[in-house]
Amino acid sequence: MNHNRQSNDGKHDDDSALSDFLASLMDYTPTIPDELVEHYLAKSGFQCPDVRLIRLVAVATQKFVAEVANDALQHCKARQAAVVKDKREKQQKYKRLILTMDDLSKSLREYGVNVKQQEYFADSPSTGIDPATRDE
Amino acid sequence: MNNGCLENRKKEHDNSQKRPKSYKFGSKSDDFALAIAKVAVAQLCESVGFQGFHLSALETLSDISVRYIYSIGKTANLSANLAGRVEGNVFDIIHGLEDLGSNLGFSGASDVDRCVVSSGVVKDITHFVGVSDFIPFAYDVPGFPVVKESTKTGSFWEKGEDPPGEHIPSWLPAFPDPETYATRLSVENETMGVSNGKKTESELERVERNMDRSLLNLQLRFAHNENKGGSSHGSGYVATESNPYLAAPLHVGEKEVSSVVLPTKLSNEVALRNPVHVDVGNHVSVLETFAPAIEAMKSGLCDSDNVKKKLLYDQRPTVRFKIGIGKKSLGTMSDLNSQNEEDLLKIASWFGNDNEKDDKKRRVEKILKESVESSKE
Repeated sequence: MNHNRQSNDGKHDDDSALSDFLASLMDYTPTIPDELVEHYLAKSGFQCPDVRLIRLVAVATQKFVAEVANDALQHCKARQAAVVKDKREKQQKYKRLILTMDDLSKSLREYGVNVKQQEYFADSPSTGIDPATRDE
Repeated sequence: MNNGCLENRKKEHDNSQKRPKSYKFGSKSDDFALAIAKVAVAQLCESVGFQGFHLSALETLSDISVRYIYSIGKTANLSANLAGRVEGNVFDIIHGLEDLGSNLGFSGASDVDRCVVSSGVVKDITHFVGVSDFIPFAYDVPGFPVVKESTKTGSFWEKGEDPPGEHIPSWLPAFPDPETYATRLSVENETMGVSNGKKTESELERVERNMDRSLLNLQLRFAHNENKGGSSHGSGYVATESNPYLAAPLHVGEKEVSSVVLPTKLSNEVALRNPVHVDVGNHVSVLETFAPAIEAMKSGLCDSDNVKKKLLYDQRPTVRFKIGIGKKSLGTMSDLNSQNEEDLLKIASWFGNDNEKDDKKRRVEKILKESVESSKE
């Protein structure tokens, strides 16, 4: 009985946390507009009159895009650091951080999305091989 | 999209052109939504720290984010349907998010008896909301897609009319009012009385819209103004006369038309390869106009100057012909009459003038010819 009561209280806390969170979503306007999310949810067949759920999906997508962009940024910075390390004697020129397909495909790879592009030319025997297997 | 800090200048050859997109997310109807997604994704990347993008990378990322939304919706819909519901729930969405985040993992994924409410996904999102900055979307997005209100033509039953004939059920849409097609005939008779053999008014309006005013010769313009006076008092006029196929058939002699070109006869004598376009307003027979030229070549006149002057007076300055280029005609004419080279040169110069006309004028003649042919039906 006690155990049940505790678990009930726990669930009640979780419920309230969730409902509080959904309420707080109405204050926070996500970057991805509601109309866009509604359009694609309608396209997928998901019907919901509740605006908070739309906001929840928008925030989730924003989190996903931010994470992917962050990983791509790390890749970009790592590449720049590698270049700078070689030419440390010369002036350290920091180029602008640009989102390229290369960085994007590397970061998306960890999320299970394959955007690998065809190599333009094959200059070595290991061109086009999966980088994970290449290390082996 | 022009945000001040963003630059899409670096091009990549592979994706800079229009690539074949999948039907679901790449069709033309989705362009607006994709554009909005691109702006939103660009803003997010800028907040993360990027200062520029490759256009292809931006497009790819926005496409993926759109698919992410779509797959959340699809999974949520699936779980709602499995539970026997039509409308989605917050739990359905959390299920969808867990499915999508399952390959990366979230806290509490391995718990056997976890509750959806206390899912690690929600906690991650809550944390993210608390940490991230508030970045509003750059533009005001209208509600889309805009639903067009269908103008329903009422059924027989709704209009309170009896359907003509027992075979027509009353729930079918009613026939249009007879006024919409009956008055047009009377108006057409009027216009035929006003100007000889003009086209129907709607066609004139259409032709006018298509052509540049300055290209029409003065005669046509006056004629148009006359017709316009009749059609200006009501758009219903133009609407009702839009179908020339419903016009009553014309009797012989009711409408003046230009006489028929005799191509076989002329092709032996005059080098006319291309068909001749005659202006609608000028009912000049082709044969008549070319008669002096034919005579000149046949008889080999010495006083070609007189003939030329006579021709110039007889010939209306507004008649235009579309004839083969001067070189062609010159070549074949020289076969016939090699003696009178002066005459040939002068005659060729008349044809040569036509070559200087613009393409626009040729198009004008083409449109007029087509309308003449259609009005003859």
